[in-house]
Amino acid sequence: MREADRREGVWKFLTYTFILVMIVLTIVPLYWIVIASTLPEEAFLTAGTAPQLFPGGEFWANFSALQDRLNIGFLMFDELLGTDFGFLGAIANSVFIAVVYTLLSLVICSMAGFAFAKYEFRFKEPIFYTILATLVLPIQLLVIPLFLLMSQLGMTNTYWAIILPWAANPLGIFLMRQNMKSLPDALLESARMDGATEFQLYYRIALPTMKSSLAALSIILFLFQWNLFLFPLVILEGDKYTIPVAINQLVGAQRVYYDQIMVAATLSIIPIFLLFLFLQKQFVSGILAGSVKE
Amino acid sequence: MATHDSNRETSPTVTDTLRYWRQSLSKALPSTSSGRVAYVFLAPFFVLFGLFLAFPIVFTLYLSFFKFNGVTQETVFWLDLGFHVIELNEMQLAFVGFENYTRLLSDAMFHQAMFNTVFILLLQVPLMVGIALLLAVALDASFVRFKGLFRTMLALPVSANLVAYSTVFLLLMQETGLVNFVLTTLGFQPIPWLSSDFWSRMTIVGAVTWRWTGYNMIILLAGLQNVPQQLYEAAEIDGANRIEKFRYVTIPQLRPVLLFVFVTSTIGTFKLFAEPIIINGGGAPLESTITIVQYIYMTAFIDFNLGYASALTYVLIAVVSVLSIVQIRLGGENDA
Repeated sequence: MREADRREGVWKFLTYTFILVMIVLTIVPLYWIVIASTLPEEAFLTAGTAPQLFPGGEFWANFSALQDRLNIGFLMFDELLGTDFGFLGAIANSVFIAVVYTLLSLVICSMAGFAFAKYEFRFKEPIFYTILATLVLPIQLLVIPLFLLMSQLGMTNTYWAIILPWAANPLGIFLMRQNMKSLPDALLESARMDGATEFQLYYRIALPTMKSSLAALSIILFLFQWNLFLFPLVILEGDKYTIPVAINQLVGAQRVYYDQIMVAATLSIIPIFLLFLFLQKQFVSGILAGSVKE
Repeated sequence: MATHDSNRETSPTVTDTLRYWRQSLSKALPSTSSGRVAYVFLAPFFVLFGLFLAFPIVFTLYLSFFKFNGVTQETVFWLDLGFHVIELNEMQLAFVGFENYTRLLSDAMFHQAMFNTVFILLLQVPLMVGIALLLAVALDASFVRFKGLFRTMLALPVSANLVAYSTVFLLLMQETGLVNFVLTTLGFQPIPWLSSDFWSRMTIVGAVTWRWTGYNMIILLAGLQNVPQQLYEAAEIDGANRIEKFRYVTIPQLRPVLLFVFVTSTIGTFKLFAEPIIINGGGAPLESTITIVQYIYMTAFIDFNLGYASALTYVLIAVVSVLSIVQIRLGGENDA
């Protein structure tokens, strides 16, 4: 019996050690970004210098150097005020684009999902399966035709060029249709009897009952847009840069501005970090929603 | 129906023809008003889907048979939207048939990009899925406390921006960076993480693994919750130890989820772009970490060889689609 207890104890110890080592490996890079952003570059790039464990006092110096290096605007405010916003402009652009994209895509996908779940119309099945088929395509890779299309439409270097191409998100419509199917037909029918219009059925009944799936989907959509890099790199010019493209600009072939990059990385991680801490449940259900199969 | 048929027997007049068309049209369109509403709900989706997804998919294929020589100033078509006039200019395209595809076969850089991608993939995906699985099983153990807190901390990298975290790895892996400091302190030789071909690929493997392990762990953890507890109890009665329970209960029960994780990670690695471009920009030799998507980007938007880049894109789309179909097939078999 004592032998079994001892082995159980060793097992528990190994399990905890494994988990804790992995947590340390996960947290150290994140912690190091924040620390490095407060240090002068020499402090973390000189050979043999012991890493500092606590923040230094150079954050504002690094921040103002970063602000001077980048000239990024936001909407029409830079012209209105006659000044650019440096890296803060990139944060504003990224947040603005991701929020508009998420809202637009939620409306489009939920409306289409409602139609596929609750109405009968011609070619419903073939159309739906065509959309499903595009789920397997890496849609971020369609940059070449999109670039040509946008330049033909005169939409290069606009926010719309980044927002519109993925607003009709195949995964979004699929998730919405699956969830809307569980909406009882009797409920819709009785609302119809009471004189509700079809749009009211969608707006007043379907949407409010879909709150949790809408939340999960909005996390998926927001992160998708937040991490887009290839297409913004191709289509945007300096004044409208989003966070990924702006940081990429600091990585030059001759010189990499690590101190400034670490400030930029710290600032860019904070919004999503907070969102993650407060909306953890939605993050998890968003990740899982993306992994469901029919 | 009867009146409709008799109309057709006599010689049709204009009004008859019109009525016939109207009848076939109303049969083609949905009869109830609610059916027509469906089209209103679907309209915005289809406009955007058609313009920005269906059209580009077809257009990429079309472009892959041409050599692109630029866009001329000659307007072939314009749209007057009232507030804005859109001019569509003529594109100079020279048909080259399958030349772009045959060129692919002897393109050393394409082979290098393919090799790098597959090399990274073969190391990174098993490593990450392995760690994610062990973590999920560890966190699922009944005696482990603070499960929620541990899960949150392990999943934190999900919140890091793809480009931002790549630059952090660029810093950590510098010749004089934190990782080499730890190595030399422990008495090892510093590793040329960014300047050697092999180690710069390892840097990408490490970075991608760091970013996505927690994400996959969440999916696997959810899969573990669905494994019936009775199976473990039955295995215990049969005298199975921990390893045997893991081998004969957990793994087979998790198979569909594991498969999903494997295939999505494989596809994700095929789409690798931000990490290699940052690591390359930060000084690693181009050939050692160039990935397919990075090569497509350079061909299309630095060399402006849009036709050839389209052919490359189609090869990649084909590979990724086949992988997805394999996933759905295998997953489907298992569910049944």
